[in-house]
Amino acid sequence: MVRRGTPGMEEPRRATDTVGHRAGSGGPTVRARGLTKVFPRGKVVALEDVSFEVRSGQFTSVVGPSGCGKSTLLRLVAGLIPRSSGELEVHGSEVTAPRTDIAMMFQRPILLPWKTALENVVLPRRIRGKLTDRDWQEGRSLLRLLGLEDFRHAYPQHLSGGMQQRVALARLLITGADVLLMDEPFASLDEFTRERLNLELLRIQSEVDATIMFVTHNITEAVFLADQVLVMTPRPGRLAGVVEVPFGRPRAIELLRTPEFNDLTFKVRGLLGESI
Amino acid sequence: MRTSEEQVIRTVEGIAEPGRISGRRRFQLTWPALLVFVVIVALWELAARSGLISHLVLPAPSGIALALVNLFTTGILWQHLRATLTATIAGFAFGAGLAFILAVLSSFWGWFRRIVSPYMIILQVTPRVALAPIFITWFGFGLTPKIVMAATICFFPVFINTLTGLLNTDEEALEMFRSMGASNRQIFTQFTMPSAMPVTFAGLKTGITLALIGAVVAEFVATSQGLGLLIDRFTFRLAMDESFAVLLVLALLGLALYGIMEFLDRRVVFWTHEERLSKKEIRSRREREETA
Repeated sequence: MVRRGTPGMEEPRRATDTVGHRAGSGGPTVRARGLTKVFPRGKVVALEDVSFEVRSGQFTSVVGPSGCGKSTLLRLVAGLIPRSSGELEVHGSEVTAPRTDIAMMFQRPILLPWKTALENVVLPRRIRGKLTDRDWQEGRSLLRLLGLEDFRHAYPQHLSGGMQQRVALARLLITGADVLLMDEPFASLDEFTRERLNLELLRIQSEVDATIMFVTHNITEAVFLADQVLVMTPRPGRLAGVVEVPFGRPRAIELLRTPEFNDLTFKVRGLLGESI
Repeated sequence: MRTSEEQVIRTVEGIAEPGRISGRRRFQLTWPALLVFVVIVALWELAARSGLISHLVLPAPSGIALALVNLFTTGILWQHLRATLTATIAGFAFGAGLAFILAVLSSFWGWFRRIVSPYMIILQVTPRVALAPIFITWFGFGLTPKIVMAATICFFPVFINTLTGLLNTDEEALEMFRSMGASNRQIFTQFTMPSAMPVTFAGLKTGITLALIGAVVAEFVATSQGLGLLIDRFTFRLAMDESFAVLLVLALLGLALYGIMEFLDRRVVFWTHEERLSKKEIRSRREREETA
């Protein structure tokens, strides 16, 4: 289904393949300092004093049990909800509302049933203005990148769950945003599909060179994908620690069998365990 | 993954002629209903001819058919049919149109909804048939009271369905649109409105049949033209064949109006109808092949 090595975007920007190099490029892309969110209704402290940095091109996983505020954290970075206190900057400027350099993907694909796959993909462009031929072509090459070019005229109802989420991924990428926020994007898919899509996500990230924040409740997935893992604990949502993942890229599934990988997952588990 | 994708490919490719049932299959499905119909009409005819049932209670089907032909050929029916149809459609257009606009405004502003809703409910719980004499006194014997009657009766289902559809939106989808930087207007036109269409159309389908009822009720009370008036006159003269013939025309008119709404529903809200969806898909695939 997926044709590897197909050129994706019009001009694919090749990313550097070592973590070290990425870390060296410029200041932090996302910077949070003492970030706190209290929901006024019921005065629920969803997030308390969270500070972290995400460097450009870095893949950051956010892991924690439900109620730890990881989704709230992502919505704050997306500018969808206002923070109660603390600082939050993306590309050096404060986040106050949704921005074109930040895009978000959700657990459900949320495709419009009256639009074909391709029409769904170009939706963000349509929101920004009149669609041009260029938009359609880019949408098409993104579907090609995700192995769905033949399905561009299919309606979402005719696509499997995995295919729908890939259309959503293409719709995320067409925004051109370089900060991609993903809220458990593959959590509702079966194990096999999820693994495939995770690998595809890594491949795509190396092609588009995006900075990704990826929320998950799966520790193995969090470590496998990321350069750093933000470990969060619930009630109130706090950052228990940050685990650096030193493995190079590209990564293969065999990485899961190595003792180093196991050590890291146990480290994450330990951070989670302390406060449960 | 692999298998599910193959399945999907098969479904997309496999529907050669979506929604088409072969003539033979259609006959297999419908012959029991047809048979029952024929038997009932035959028994009815027999009962009427043998004098088992009085002609004044239930005229024979053959008599009704004859009366129907007469009504059409003499041309009496046409002006009355036109009058009822005009009242129904105009009433539906006003009632459904106003209901739609008020529902949209109510979905925008909570304060507006809170002001409007009680009146909507009062209007709905009042037996509007009782309003017919009042409308006649207000608007005279012409077309106007019929239109108003049809409009008030078809108003509520359209209003409540549209409002429900507009308010019952997917919160996460709204978040997604906002994360794309969509304006409120864009969210409404691109998402909220189309999402509400299936429920709105269910209301419109109910509304069109209610509009016909409204028009006929007003015709019963007082009017100079219309199928309701015609039934009233024929029964008064105990011309039961003609009465039933007009009744049949009314039933067919209702069916036709409903059919039109159903047709529009399948066109507009195509994504809830599998066969329309596949048709559109196949068409766009064909167009793509032509351009390729």
